[in-house]
Amino acid sequence: MKETIYLDNNATTRVAPEVFEAMRPYLTEHYGNPSSAHSQGRKMKTAIEQAREQVAELLGANDTSEIVFTSCGSESDNWAIGGFLEQNPTRRHIITTRVEHEAVRNLCGHLADIGCEVTWLEVDQNGELELDHLRKALRRDTGIVSVMLANNETGVLFPIEEIGRIVRENSEAVFHVDGVQAVGKIPIDLKNSPVDLFALSGHKLHAPQGIGALYIRNGIKLPPFIIGGGQESGRRAGTSAVPNIVGLGAACDLAGNFDGHERVRRLRDKLEDQILRTIPNTLLNGSPDRQKRLPNTSNISFQYLEGENITAHLDEAGICVSTGSACHSDAHEASTTLRAMNIPYSAARGSIRFSLGRYNTEQEIDYTLDVLPGIVNRLVEMSPYDKELKAL
Amino acid sequence: MHGYTGLAKDHFFNPRNVGALDGEAFIGRAGSFTCGAVVRVSLRIDESQRIAEAKFKATGCGFLVASLSFLTEQIQGKTTGEAAVLAQSSASAISQPLGGFPENRTHCAALACEALLSAITDYSDSVRSEWEGDEALICTCFCVSETTIEREIESGGLRTIAEVTKACRAGAGCHSCYSLIEDILDDHWRSQGIANPAFR
Repeated sequence: MKETIYLDNNATTRVAPEVFEAMRPYLTEHYGNPSSAHSQGRKMKTAIEQAREQVAELLGANDTSEIVFTSCGSESDNWAIGGFLEQNPTRRHIITTRVEHEAVRNLCGHLADIGCEVTWLEVDQNGELELDHLRKALRRDTGIVSVMLANNETGVLFPIEEIGRIVRENSEAVFHVDGVQAVGKIPIDLKNSPVDLFALSGHKLHAPQGIGALYIRNGIKLPPFIIGGGQESGRRAGTSAVPNIVGLGAACDLAGNFDGHERVRRLRDKLEDQILRTIPNTLLNGSPDRQKRLPNTSNISFQYLEGENITAHLDEAGICVSTGSACHSDAHEASTTLRAMNIPYSAARGSIRFSLGRYNTEQEIDYTLDVLPGIVNRLVEMSPYDKELKAL
Repeated sequence: MHGYTGLAKDHFFNPRNVGALDGEAFIGRAGSFTCGAVVRVSLRIDESQRIAEAKFKATGCGFLVASLSFLTEQIQGKTTGEAAVLAQSSASAISQPLGGFPENRTHCAALACEALLSAITDYSDSVRSEWEGDEALICTCFCVSETTIEREIESGGLRTIAEVTKACRAGAGCHSCYSLIEDILDDHWRSQGIANPAFR
């Protein structure tokens, strides 16, 4: 098998052919500026509004006016949190978690540097939150609580319904959810959720890179993210990226009608079960309760091995995965999420994330399960931790 | 794309000399606080001071594995002195023949060299402690005795280890005799009534 087996769908996803076909006319025959009054422009405007409906539908929004297109998930997160603080400069207490995506985590770190007060909620070794800590952290001046729905590395789901309820019962704070990793993988129903702001990113659900959206519940005030020509009802200026917006709409449509979730879940379960059962010295990272994780993600540690080497060997075999341990420019660190979970370095270093998607087949999973033990064996033979491995 | 190309890729995916030697082997270890990599090199050295066999084990990136595979291949049959000189040269002596490493991975080649030097040092220490010749052996890599070093210091007025190495090669290999050479320099100059803060 020499075709790529792509098991890195939490990083990004392949653009669906249906999405590409929906976009194609907007990259060829339709080229007007949606702000123009002529027929070419109006056609584009109509396409944007149709896409907005498609996004609103997938998210279960009350109204299409609650959806604003952005360039990516990080922009949506930055706008939600940064915008709220701009609007409410006196409510400078933020609550978030240790395991957020960098778009939230590093933004909150920056806000702490410039005078905001940030409470970082800890997770346990399964990557789950202790909600009592949230109750205790909420204060009168808490402005915004930002919690992800699904963790990008482990797939662990945070109970946002319950979190939102606690926030509403105990404070005046606005509740922002980074939903980037969850949309398209699990059902979302925002109109019945205590969520005020919700970020999504197109490329995680088979739309192209470069398009995202922010859900802003009606009644929540945010200043414009980009000031200019008044696009997106004056909330985010800049000529609309019509092909990408159309692509996101089509992707949301596709995700809403996808009936293969159980098949993906079954493939993930098979991969995960077999690795944990047949390859020695492996550990699951994230809640062992699969109901508390995304149905497509498995994060597994190969203890005392180097994740980067496992990914390289798998890549050579045509299989794309990622590792939570990356040798950056000058330091090698286990991922923040795994460190927050107190996963020992010897395990975090050899962590591999398998994230499946709609295009994966049973043959691909079987092939992966065929080649993986050989790769692990070779690296075990090479590991200087012979005594530790023997003792496990 | 994993980013490994050319000879580095070959050495990474088909590493030579993986393993450990038992019995009479000399062991070197190195670890990096920067990247968490750990290396163990074991050497079997014959009576003519040549490296008969070199093996390694490592947890680290592919550039480290490729460096160790290449290095252990290069030193087969070389004397410990020759091997030490190779390991003391710049990391690019390893990374260049492998096709060049990204800038942030030169430390991987350096770590491989460090582990090899540590194994050679293990050998040197053991040779020195078992040495039964008339003159004390200082530099085992290049078989330089204490008498020779003393003579060079006296005749050349040598003040630094680098000057000693230049004069008689002592200290050109694994560096495990540096402190001994330092002591000899110190003793010599003190006997002349001159404190020698410059010998380093």
